[in-house]
Amino acid sequence: MTTTPAKITTRDVTVYYGDAQALHGIDMDIQANQVTALIGPSGCGKSTFLRCINRMNDVIEDCRVGGSISIDGQDIYDGSIDVVELRARVGMVFQKPNPFPKSIYENVAYGPRIHGLAENKSELDHMVETSLRRAGLWQEVSDRLHTSGSGLSGGQQQRLCIARTIAVNPNVVLMDEPCSALDPIATAVIEELIEELRADYTIVIVTHSMQQAARVSQRTAYFHLGNLVEQGDTDSIFTNPANKQTEAYISGKIG
Amino acid sequence: MSLSFLVICLAGLGLYSFFFGRHRIRAISRQSELKQHSQDTYHGSFLLICTTLLPLFILIIWSSFSPLILNAMLRSKLDILAGPLSVGEMGVQLAQAKALYAGIINPAFVGDSVKQAAAYYGELVSMSNTARAVLVLSAAVAGIGYGARLLDVRFRARHRVESFAKWLMILASAIAVLTTIGIILSLIFESLRFFDKVSLSEFLFGLQWSPQIAIREDQAGGSGSFGAVPLFAGTLMITLVAMLVAVPVGLMSAIYLSEYASPRLRNIAKPTIEVLAGIPTVVYGFFAALVLAPLLRNGGNDIGLTVSSESALAAGLVMGIMIIPFISSLSDDVINAVPQNLRDGAAGLGATQSETIRQVVLPAALPGIVSAILLAISRAIGETMIVVMAAGVAANLTANPFESVTTVTVQIVMLLVGDQEFDSVKTLAAFALGLVLFFITLGLNVLALYVVNKYREQYD
Repeated sequence: MTTTPAKITTRDVTVYYGDAQALHGIDMDIQANQVTALIGPSGCGKSTFLRCINRMNDVIEDCRVGGSISIDGQDIYDGSIDVVELRARVGMVFQKPNPFPKSIYENVAYGPRIHGLAENKSELDHMVETSLRRAGLWQEVSDRLHTSGSGLSGGQQQRLCIARTIAVNPNVVLMDEPCSALDPIATAVIEELIEELRADYTIVIVTHSMQQAARVSQRTAYFHLGNLVEQGDTDSIFTNPANKQTEAYISGKIG
Repeated sequence: MSLSFLVICLAGLGLYSFFFGRHRIRAISRQSELKQHSQDTYHGSFLLICTTLLPLFILIIWSSFSPLILNAMLRSKLDILAGPLSVGEMGVQLAQAKALYAGIINPAFVGDSVKQAAAYYGELVSMSNTARAVLVLSAAVAGIGYGARLLDVRFRARHRVESFAKWLMILASAIAVLTTIGIILSLIFESLRFFDKVSLSEFLFGLQWSPQIAIREDQAGGSGSFGAVPLFAGTLMITLVAMLVAVPVGLMSAIYLSEYASPRLRNIAKPTIEVLAGIPTVVYGFFAALVLAPLLRNGGNDIGLTVSSESALAAGLVMGIMIIPFISSLSDDVINAVPQNLRDGAAGLGATQSETIRQVVLPAALPGIVSAILLAISRAIGETMIVVMAAGVAANLTANPFESVTTVTVQIVMLLVGDQEFDSVKTLAAFALGLVLFFITLGLNVLALYVVNKYREQYD
């Protein structure tokens, strides 16, 4: 649908955990300022694929990644890439809200601090406020910035994690089932937030909820047993899937 | 009937009652159309409990009180047979009569009154044993009868056994708690007797410790002084040296093992470190005294320092090595308990591994680490053997770790070895030291609990 070059390009990405192959040659082009949803049954490799994009799989022993993934034309598995910098550019929001056992302020300030983004205290304050505002949390927490982040509700915690992620100014945000631990109302808030964030970030979201994929994403990719079965515009995938498997999954026959 | 035979009989009855109960409930169940509430085994177990519980209780009570009663009766008999006796003579004759009854002294060596007393004692014992046997066995039989009447298809034997199990647990914990309370009370009362003789302020704030007291009235240099400050200062210094060794080494090895090491290395290294905790402290003690202390003295002399051949430093260093595993093993456990998603979160923001550990993992694990350190401190304060061997027994009040010092626990040993009268000031001083030591470790435990509770919920 766009003619601009893809933000993230993956070619023939394979992942092995020990001897077990988790991903078989994934080719994808992910466009900037779009939400790309990865859907598929449990264990189909969508989270594994997501974690390849910011090299979080590096942490797991016995995990080998093959093929190439480039962001803005730069191969992120190249030896010259600084993983720490990469992860600052490609932020990640996890399945379970995982605020650090620190105050709300410190949670958001953590990223800017370790990357030395703020010159002084007032600049840092400003960054924290901006990030919390963007995550739609500022109204709720501005009067208790210095209380513990784990005292927030699940949905607030997840928005805190999003604020924490965008505080380091990434250009890609990866979300691994960000709403699976949340109730429908908190989920709706996060989904709205994703829609707003799309203007500034490239978002890749793994989700188990087909409705969520349909609501928030512009592109959808269906994974099955480590294969990328089908990808395309969300509208066409959901209304007119080309592949039988995709159709079966979307209509609830499998998965 | 002898005790062992009685116990065997009781066990036999118990076993019988178990099978009898099982058999009986089956028979009852066959007659009934109702669904049986508890399985056969529970009925058997219930009957077993009915049969043995009360007899065991009687047995324990009887065995603990009958010697006292028999003794009193023997004493009054001897009073009648041999006329009024002094305390010492009475003690001797009592012992002789019992020994004669047991057949371990030659009757030729004892007087007539003792012989008669022994015969009387023999009668008493056999009467007591017979009464015991009758009481215990009839209680057991009555128990079977009582229990067997209760057995029925709808009888809730399962719940009865369940509540018996609960009471058994309560009993076990009550024993532990009461023992603790008993020890503390005994410490307190003996200490109060000590503080009758030595004032509390002298004990707590006195700077001189030399617990020599006169055995004879005219003995020279026998007025003891009981100022415990040098002991606590020595304890503090050795503990401090030990913690300076153990905390950094233990904590860093814990971090390495839990965050960096491969599972294979971890599986080998962790048990290896834990072996350190299994070495008897006396071995550490002579290692400190025979290897490390001379090394320190010679090394110190070479660079112009005066190091005593028994020094706080030697004891503290070795003690530090001894408590490394407490810190490393416990900290390793709590660091591992920090959820992986916190590490992922930090890594996802672009934190390096050591940043993640310092800024996220360690703060989250802090309560556990603090309690590990406090446990190690308690261990260091209570340690005796290493100090006796490596730091000496002289109560010096000094801040110089190269000098010989002593600790509270070592002095408790010193006060109690050798022949002592139980109510001398010297012996009682041990109770007072023990009491203070108890309060110090109690305080540390309370502090540890407080720290853990205050920070515990942070990552839940």
